[in-house]
Amino acid sequence: MLDTVLVILLTALLAIGALLTAMTSRLLRAAIMLAVTSAVLTAIMFRLNAPLAAVFELSVCAGLVPAIFISAIGLTRRLDPEGLKARFKDRIKRYWFLPVILVAVAAGLSQIHFVTDFIVSAPDSAGETVQTVFWNTRPLDLLGQVAALLAAAFAVVVLLKETTND
Amino acid sequence: MNILLLLILVPIVAGVLVLLSRKTIPHTRESATMLIALVNLIAVIALFGQDLPYSHSWGPFKAFSLDLRYYSFSSFILIAAAGFTLLVTIYSWRFMQDRAHRSQYYGYMLLSLGFTNGAVLADNLILLLFFWEGLLGTLFGMIAIGRPGAWKTAMKAFIIVGVTDLCLMLGIILTGTMAHTFKMSEISLPVQGLGITAMLLMCVGATAKAGAMPFHSWIPDAAVDAPLPFMAFMPASLEKLLGIYLLTRITLNLYKLSPDSWVSPALMTFGCITILAAVMMALVQKDFKRLLSYHAVSQVGYMILGVGTALPIGIIGGVFHMVNHAMYKSCLFLTAGSVEKQTGTTDLAKLGGIGRLMPITFTCFIIAAMAISGVPPLNGFWSKEFVYDAALSHHVIFYLAAVLGSFFTAASFLKLGHAAFLGKRDPANDNVKEAPVSMLAPMILIAAGCILFGLWNALPLNHLVGPSTGLAAEAQEHAGFHLPSLLLATLTCVALLGALANHIIGARANGGGLHAADHIQYAPVLGSIYKKAQTDGADPYNFATRVAGYFCTAGWACDKAVDWVYDGFTVWLTRTLSFAVRASHTGSYALYVLWALVGAAAVVIYLTRIMP
Amino acid sequence: MLPLFVLVPLALLMIVNLPVGQFLRRWSWGLTLLLTIAQAAALICFAPHLKAGGFLATLIPLTLELDNLSCVMLLAIAIVVGASLLVARGTVSGMKQLSNFASLVLIAMAGMNALALLRDLFSLWLFFEVVGVASFVLIAFRRDRGALEGAFTYIILSGVATVLMLGGLAILMLVGRGESSPLTFANVQAALQISGGLTAARLGIGMFLCGLLIKGGLVPFHGWLPGAYSAANAPASVLLAGIVTKATGVYGLMRVVSSVIPPTPGVNAVVLFAGAAAVVIGALGALYQSEMKRLFAYSSISQVGYILLGLGCGGPLGMLGATLHLFNHAIFKSLLFVNAAAVEQRVGTTDMTRLGGLGSKMPWTNVTSLIATLSTAGVPPLSGFWSKLIIVVALWQGAHYGYAVVAILFSLVTLGYLLLMQRKVFFGEMPAELANTREASPSVVISAVVLAGITFGMGVLFPLLLKTFLLPVKSIFPLQ
Repeated sequence: MLDTVLVILLTALLAIGALLTAMTSRLLRAAIMLAVTSAVLTAIMFRLNAPLAAVFELSVCAGLVPAIFISAIGLTRRLDPEGLKARFKDRIKRYWFLPVILVAVAAGLSQIHFVTDFIVSAPDSAGETVQTVFWNTRPLDLLGQVAALLAAAFAVVVLLKETTND
Repeated sequence: MNILLLLILVPIVAGVLVLLSRKTIPHTRESATMLIALVNLIAVIALFGQDLPYSHSWGPFKAFSLDLRYYSFSSFILIAAAGFTLLVTIYSWRFMQDRAHRSQYYGYMLLSLGFTNGAVLADNLILLLFFWEGLLGTLFGMIAIGRPGAWKTAMKAFIIVGVTDLCLMLGIILTGTMAHTFKMSEISLPVQGLGITAMLLMCVGATAKAGAMPFHSWIPDAAVDAPLPFMAFMPASLEKLLGIYLLTRITLNLYKLSPDSWVSPALMTFGCITILAAVMMALVQKDFKRLLSYHAVSQVGYMILGVGTALPIGIIGGVFHMVNHAMYKSCLFLTAGSVEKQTGTTDLAKLGGIGRLMPITFTCFIIAAMAISGVPPLNGFWSKEFVYDAALSHHVIFYLAAVLGSFFTAASFLKLGHAAFLGKRDPANDNVKEAPVSMLAPMILIAAGCILFGLWNALPLNHLVGPSTGLAAEAQEHAGFHLPSLLLATLTCVALLGALANHIIGARANGGGLHAADHIQYAPVLGSIYKKAQTDGADPYNFATRVAGYFCTAGWACDKAVDWVYDGFTVWLTRTLSFAVRASHTGSYALYVLWALVGAAAVVIYLTRIMP
Repeated sequence: MLPLFVLVPLALLMIVNLPVGQFLRRWSWGLTLLLTIAQAAALICFAPHLKAGGFLATLIPLTLELDNLSCVMLLAIAIVVGASLLVARGTVSGMKQLSNFASLVLIAMAGMNALALLRDLFSLWLFFEVVGVASFVLIAFRRDRGALEGAFTYIILSGVATVLMLGGLAILMLVGRGESSPLTFANVQAALQISGGLTAARLGIGMFLCGLLIKGGLVPFHGWLPGAYSAANAPASVLLAGIVTKATGVYGLMRVVSSVIPPTPGVNAVVLFAGAAAVVIGALGALYQSEMKRLFAYSSISQVGYILLGLGCGGPLGMLGATLHLFNHAIFKSLLFVNAAAVEQRVGTTDMTRLGGLGSKMPWTNVTSLIATLSTAGVPPLSGFWSKLIIVVALWQGAHYGYAVVAILFSLVTLGYLLLMQRKVFFGEMPAELANTREASPSVVISAVVLAGITFGMGVLFPLLLKTFLLPVKSIFPLQ
């Protein structure tokens, strides 16, 4: 019973956090909300018996990324209160249908009678460490991650660095 | 190269060359045409009496193989066609001298000669059809180069003959399918079932070529519009020769028509109607050429009547009449041409009394007119007697119709001769001279031929008509002055005398030769019929064009509707949809995400819930 | 040898970006172009030998496989990347920018090569992301408002795709429990054959399919596509339209539908419907479009729809048609974008209301554009005709008559809007301000001519190519 309540509570928190992140008209608040959302996700991951993922989530998504965001926001300029109000109204206008979608999706899901025969316990991977998983069975994915990181680096180079005339 | 191929190809190639020629050296085209016509005549006469088959197949296309055959019947037609072509060419030299389009005229003439040779020599129905359609083209061309506005008549002729050629094509396809071959000398089908349809369709094609009713209505118009030698060349001789040749081939070879079949009386009825209706129309014409042209239609009736009896004597009579008709009718058209050339008109009201100024033309006219009326002992008399005899052995009514036709023929020619050459002379025609020699010579030759074939009818009967129809014995029996029935001959003479009496009374009563037939034209019942016939309503062509007009209007409406579907509705629909698509792409990523989510939900629900 | 297709581009990327001054970076464009030529040459000349593992396979145990569909993809990647680089030479100014562009292209190329060769669903997703990130940057390369907006829309919809695909993967992983590597194609297929009827399995498949449909820009998942294609700079749009969406979404769909999911009528129905919707909506969107690149973008949606129609037939013939059209479309759509780049380079706009009569000034562009137009519309004997023909025949044989009619009908609409484009841009009256227009720079013209040559050659030599090169493609389909 307590378990179920906890799951519902955490999921609701996650949804609220995500919504607030999207809806707030202040960048700083959005960044903090994102961190909070990530923290809730971490809790859920712990709850789902995935401590490794939870640690990653907490350190990178809840810690590092908001830190980068906040430092970047420090370089920006605040809008005046009028502008903020207008932007908030604009967001309300643009996202009014989100609840509608939620209801629709919920209705759709309620129509699907899930068969629960696929819900099984997590595969037994106690013997394998993260390193072995990466290096021995999924080297290609590692390569992919390297490539994705490189692409992100170039994104910074191309999009954020001022081009100098050469 | 095979001589038969040369007979076809040389005139065609020469015709194309003449068509393309420029007028640089005077008289080259004329002399070239004349030379080719002469060589052609010499060649076909030299070949006379032989049986020359020729066959060349195009690989797997058996149906279209180039089969030619020169034998008695085709040789007869070829000689006649060659002779008329030569004579008309000579005649045309002076007649066409000052006219435009001479390259086309002589070019078409040579082409027509080549196509005629091809059609007659062809031993393959499809090949025949090919040349037949070629003649349709030259027919159109020759009418169209007449006086300004003649293209309308040309169009009329083209449509009428074209439609009937379509019938012929259908008939040929049916025949070939049933016989499993298109080779004419191998086809021999019974007249039953689908064969009747096929045969009738082919008969329509053949008789329409010959100009029978109701496919005749372009001929009187062409007589007025086309160059006159064309009338002597095509409707009077070549087309009659071809049409009756094919009709005879159909009823004699391709199908075994027996006198007992119902098709035979049907053909005969068709012939009788043509005789009577056309001759009645001829009787009331007030124009030299138009009057002649109606007779060109009327006389076909005798040929169809004769061939349609399916009796030996009838067939002999029909084919004999064909060649006789070609002679006297072309002679008559040539005299009309002389009159037109010398006086500048063919309107009977303006003519009259020129017989003394153009004595040779008048003499030729008299001989030909007597021949066409069937005055003994000229050639027309004999062929008509044969036809009468055959008609009588079927039913007396056919005979009566034929004799009645003969009566009116005589009456109308008495009227024509009286109005044109005798009576009071218009002062404007006082200085008229006799036609030039080159125009007189063909007339004299043909008129002499009429007398020759009349007095010595054994010559054509034994050597031309008999062998070609395969009825040599019957022909021999009636050659010379061996009439089938003396009684009938007497009755014919009575009818002719009646016509003479009628004319004299009529001329007295109505004043002058031109009005000699007025008492018939304005007779109580006939008057109203004539009135109707004189208006365009009676012309089947006009009726058909009116019906076609309705179809055109309906088709136009359909076309508009289809146009609207394409140009209006489709454009409107695509435009609307296109703008709707564009308007829906607002650039808002939230909207795009929404679409994607809805799409994903649809896919997932479809896959999990709807699919079994 | 196969790992080289992934490793060499990455290695080259590292080398040219070594921090040893500007020396190596000057060479990055040339070296990348050389690499594409080498890849194309290797595939044309040594395709049968490439499958052999060699010593590299033992050294670097990457699970890669080469089959005929992979060969076609790799060839298309090499050609289009090369074309894009040539266009970049003429349109991207500054050595540094060109070098950056070449580096991003190298990452995208490595990612796409890996996609063509890998045989694991999770890796498939991962390399989608690699190519995706490179594409975001390429779209935003110009850094103007439109480009950033286009890139942002793409990022958002890619996020949705990622969520759907990862969710689907998780479910599929649970369905195929108990394997040591549960997401290789073979294992997933085996698992689905046992439990494919389960609602959960279908849910997983459906979510993964939707992710792929977003990546491929199919209707109604296509919202990002017109903006992204038209806002990107010229060489990036060539790359994106020519190969990136094909190598990610369309190729992914083909691979997944043909060799991961066991044949199910439901999946085929979804693919067919999505294809038809894309054909219709794409063509309608293009019909009255006045912006050249946006028109091509909509046309791209429509043509991808044809590929899906072939795929949805669920037979070897349909698969052949889809593969062929994938290749053809990569070539002639790249060509159209190259032509757009040429116009943009010399006139500075692709707004068709301001263009006209350029045919006399830009003869090469004009002729190659005409070839691409006719090929796209499926006019014989160009290559597009054959692939469309095969697709229509496959649809007809599969008794999908309605879809076949749609395919034929919208082929006409395709001809209509592309000829309208041709008329508005290259024929007709020339506005006075365009009087001094010149032909595009040599590198752009060369790439247009090469692509046009391939389109033309493929079409004319089709009967020859069919037996030797194209027919074996069918062998990838399990239902022989």
